[in-house]
Amino acid sequence: MTFDAIGIAGTGLTVHRKWLDAISDNLANVNTAVATGDEAFRARYVAVQNSTESPGVYVAGIRLGDPAGRMVHEPDNPLADADGYVRYPDIDFGDQMSQLILAQRGYQASAAVVDRARSAYEAALQIGRS
Amino acid sequence: MDALSGIEGVGGLSAPLTATGSAQPPRTGDAAGFASSITGAIDDLRALQSESSELAVAAVTGELDDIHSAMIASTRAAVTLELVAAVRNKGVDAFNEIMRMQA
Repeated sequence: MTFDAIGIAGTGLTVHRKWLDAISDNLANVNTAVATGDEAFRARYVAVQNSTESPGVYVAGIRLGDPAGRMVHEPDNPLADADGYVRYPDIDFGDQMSQLILAQRGYQASAAVVDRARSAYEAALQIGRS
Repeated sequence: MDALSGIEGVGGLSAPLTATGSAQPPRTGDAAGFASSITGAIDDLRALQSESSELAVAAVTGELDDIHSAMIASTRAAVTLELVAAVRNKGVDAFNEIMRMQA
């Protein structure tokens, strides 16, 4: 493929976009309580891999967190069981926020690579032009 | 200071220039090669531009998952267009230079 650096950076952008989507889902559901008889929201974790056929990074799949979640004592919650417990997803807010920063920085880095590669190719086209 | 010893005469040629009669036969393959390579480059460019415009349509109709894929396709098409234009201009420059050759 011509101008490969742009395409490789594009795979990084796709992976980080999916990571951002996963974090967005996790953060949106961080306070989703369910009854203890149901499965808690399962956090999404993006698994990535490289490829032997072409350079770049690719999403291998989405791994799901523990459906057991964590039990919280909230007797006032209408979803609470007889003992006053509800099930919250097992998501650490601080961990998700640091992943959010990593995903954002990774996305920005890949976008910067696209820009720099374009500038470099344009500089190459200026060679010999007086 | 040998370096500043003035301009020296050119040494004799080690071999006399060969007569023009022994020039290589005209190679028609090269002209066809340039034509076909620039045609191929233009075909590639057209494919990139149609991919770029398809993604642009998908972006404005909300069917696009990745915003960056449209921008990357457009960047790639733009850089390829500049490359093809640069090669074409070089070819035209060379042609004009040859056309200016007069006895």
